[in-house]
Amino acid sequence: MKKIIGGKEAARDLRNSVIAVVLAILFLFPVYWMMQISFKSDAETFGKVLSYYPREFTVYPWLVNLQDKTFLLSLRNSFINGFLTMGITLLLGVPAAYGMGRYRVKGSSVFLLTFLVCQMLPASLTLTPMYLIFNKIHFLGTHFTAPVAIAGASIPFAIITLRPYFKSVPVALDEAARLDGCGPLKAFFYVMIPAVKTGIVTIVVISFLNGWNDLVYSMTFNVGETMRPLTANIYKFQNAYGTKWNCIMAYGTILVLPVILLFIFLQKYIVGGLVAGAVKD
Amino acid sequence: MKKTLLALVLAVAMLLVSVPAVLAEAPTEITLWHYFDASADAQAIVDWVDEYNSIQNEIHITATYVSRTELMNQYTVGALSGELPDIGMVDSPDMASYISLGVFEDITDQLEAWGELDQFYPGPLESCKDADGRIYGLPQNTNCLALACNMDLLKAAGYDHMPTNLAEFQEMVAATTDPADDVYGFAMSCISTEEGTFQLLPWLRSAAGGAGVNVDNLTADSAVNGLKVLGDFVANGYMSKECVNWTQSDAFNQFAAGKAALAEVGTWHLAMTDAIGGAFEYGFCLLPTGDEGTSTSTIGGENFGVCSGAENVEGCVNFLEWLCSKDKEGEWAVVAGKIPTRQDSVANYTYEVDGFNVFVDEMNYAQARGPHAEWPTISEAIYTAAQSVFVDGTDPAEALAGAMEKITPIVEANPLP
Amino acid sequence: MAAGKKREAYIFVLPAFIYILFVLGYPLIYNVYLSLRNVDVKNLTKGGDVFIGLQNYIDLFKNPTFLLVLKNTFVFTIACLLFQFTIGFALALFFYQKFRLSGPIRGVLLVSYMIPMSVTGLLGKNIFSNAGLVNNLLSKIGIIGPEWLVNTSTALIAVIIMNCWVGIPFNMLLLISGLTSITPDVYESASIDGANWLQRFWYITVPLMKSSMLSVLMLGFIYTFRAFDLMYIMTAGGPLNSTDVLGTYSYMLSFTQYKFSQGSAVAMVLFGCLFIVGLFYLRLLSKED
Repeated sequence: MKKIIGGKEAARDLRNSVIAVVLAILFLFPVYWMMQISFKSDAETFGKVLSYYPREFTVYPWLVNLQDKTFLLSLRNSFINGFLTMGITLLLGVPAAYGMGRYRVKGSSVFLLTFLVCQMLPASLTLTPMYLIFNKIHFLGTHFTAPVAIAGASIPFAIITLRPYFKSVPVALDEAARLDGCGPLKAFFYVMIPAVKTGIVTIVVISFLNGWNDLVYSMTFNVGETMRPLTANIYKFQNAYGTKWNCIMAYGTILVLPVILLFIFLQKYIVGGLVAGAVKD
Repeated sequence: MKKTLLALVLAVAMLLVSVPAVLAEAPTEITLWHYFDASADAQAIVDWVDEYNSIQNEIHITATYVSRTELMNQYTVGALSGELPDIGMVDSPDMASYISLGVFEDITDQLEAWGELDQFYPGPLESCKDADGRIYGLPQNTNCLALACNMDLLKAAGYDHMPTNLAEFQEMVAATTDPADDVYGFAMSCISTEEGTFQLLPWLRSAAGGAGVNVDNLTADSAVNGLKVLGDFVANGYMSKECVNWTQSDAFNQFAAGKAALAEVGTWHLAMTDAIGGAFEYGFCLLPTGDEGTSTSTIGGENFGVCSGAENVEGCVNFLEWLCSKDKEGEWAVVAGKIPTRQDSVANYTYEVDGFNVFVDEMNYAQARGPHAEWPTISEAIYTAAQSVFVDGTDPAEALAGAMEKITPIVEANPLP
Repeated sequence: MAAGKKREAYIFVLPAFIYILFVLGYPLIYNVYLSLRNVDVKNLTKGGDVFIGLQNYIDLFKNPTFLLVLKNTFVFTIACLLFQFTIGFALALFFYQKFRLSGPIRGVLLVSYMIPMSVTGLLGKNIFSNAGLVNNLLSKIGIIGPEWLVNTSTALIAVIIMNCWVGIPFNMLLLISGLTSITPDVYESASIDGANWLQRFWYITVPLMKSSMLSVLMLGFIYTFRAFDLMYIMTAGGPLNSTDVLGTYSYMLSFTQYKFSQGSAVAMVLFGCLFIVGLFYLRLLSKED
């Protein structure tokens, strides 16, 4: 779109920005709610009057979480889960999406169906048999175990999401690359991947989150405090405190903060990708 | 020459044999899984395991915390794969299912040779047995349910004492309810898990107007009346409908926050009364589920068993015998806010002494759940019946008849003990 | 395309395919097997379970609880998809416009998607409790809110609202990505032709977005249909199974009641429903190709 510089455009910009801010406030209010409870005292949490902000500010619910002796280990494990899941997903999912988006191959619908089907399996169905097979090949209790299982769902996701991106890249682009003497791999890495950068960043974020937020696989495949991610502490708190909301909400906030920070860092790339335009010729 | 050779071979053979013998003197590494998650008992189990490691050289135990939900999943998948800890903790009503799943070793012979089994209270010990009476573990602690009373609220409603029978209890619940001040007369947990069943059973097994019944006869008048009393509380606004989503901690939190005048609470809550923080006077009494002088309650508690395929079963059983010895039982009860499982143990409570006395007395009226391998299905039928009364206003007799349709085939195939 | 190029394609696709078969193929076969037998707490390790054909499935469809759970799953999925997709699409179109705060705020909205479902469940339990945030806000405008999580008629609504809160930004993110793949030139030529925004949306955006829209809807369906964590934490399926869905029900049967074969049968029904939707999706895709 051409930029028309003028008062009308500026007014529209302002109007849209105001709407956006209102939307953001509405949407984030539950998050604010979570955070403000995390700074309330026990008495106020269970008080008879609902207050919208902590009247007597306390960090004790945070300390309950942070002083847990396995906190740092859990934090590390959550990052390991996130990054390994992301790594496996990118390594296998992106090439497969490319292969299925750019080529017409025999049996492509079989592949697609298989990938679709595999995403459909709920954890309650896969948990026991996966455990049995991992046990047989002595693959339980490693940092790779849970990510390998989680990637089972995030690879198909990546393929299904990225395939349309690869399809929409003009054929001229990689043909030109081929004419320049690029092999298929080189064309894939230097031409196609940059062309679908936005989609890839999406997959980076989502596959990381899949790993970071996983509870059931990490819990079942890795027993022991040194292997446990942050998410698994939810049961510890639920059992020990019931709904002691301030401690639970501090736990929730702690779980979300690193992801938000990571995302703020990555957002530049998302916005950058959008501005550059994924497919200009 | 031959003799020398023979001697040499023998010497080498002896060396080879003696090497493992020397190695065997190093203690066997044993893993123990538990879900103690309150700060006091979580620390205590670690300290105790350290103590045991230091006083003997047969096994070396490492205690690992695994949350209860996680632990139950591990037992289920572990039953199939054989990947289990050496020693595991289990909630008493779940034990029968895990025995049936083959999670625990039959350790009857060693325990009988120990000669102290007759010191254990029958209720908790029964939960460690299968239908043939074989024993798979030891009850490490026990608890039951009693009534917590907010004395200030009772006084404000004109009562100077705690309820002693069902009729009086109903009166007090009605009188203490104060919607204007956001106070309910009564709070309990009726969540759709085992916790809900645990708290419902005293009312269903109430001995009001005669003898109480077990879960194989819930259409009896006493059971229907028990559920009707609770259902009326909800219908009249004396008990929050939210009890169908409350865990036991939630119900206790309501009481501690002064939002419920009376509440059904467990022994372990005595270790949490500092949450009340002196905001009001409180007391504990027997659950008034029936006529004057009677009460009913449910036995809770945790057992420890030796898991199938454990490295050193004998060594593990020795630890269980130490853990559940006369002295240790008494000490644990004080640390964790529980009741000893042995009649020869003495617990010298250092806090809430009066409260503990009530619970110890209540144990005389407390009944076991099952044991039955299909207890979870029975339990589901029970809390579902109660929820349909509380939420949908179903007639209690009808709801319990529905529950019996599910329970009867199960107990006919494998009767309750 | 030349044969050589086809071989190239397999090099890209096969590693992922083999990985998926390795990780998820066995679980599927295992569950089919289990769902045709009568494995439960009594015979899991002791043996003695037998092949009973489709009996588990027949029993399920005679079981009113299962039928309720099946209905809940469809109501939940369709309601969530409807709101997530339309609101998500509207937001995607809005934030696709270039204005100063579009980038940062678009990112900010994603926060709800990043919160683990288990925490979302806890948050839902808190704000929908009787004296919680939602009813407090309602009372400020003179409405006495219902006891959301206690009534069988409202609990599912509360769960749907919480799920949409997570699903809307997710839909928005995927749809914005789809929008960016439309070359701006197309719009420019259209605006020269004098098309208004509605015409542009209907005749340009929608057809060009068809592929992304289909995949978003498809993925949305899958993720919503197999929901588990949210209900497990927020309501535990209750009260009276009113928020139980196939995922939670199957888990409860297998891991709480140890009715392994019945749990597998429920999971297979879940899987079967998704399989049909998957086939439908593929047909649409192949038409489009």
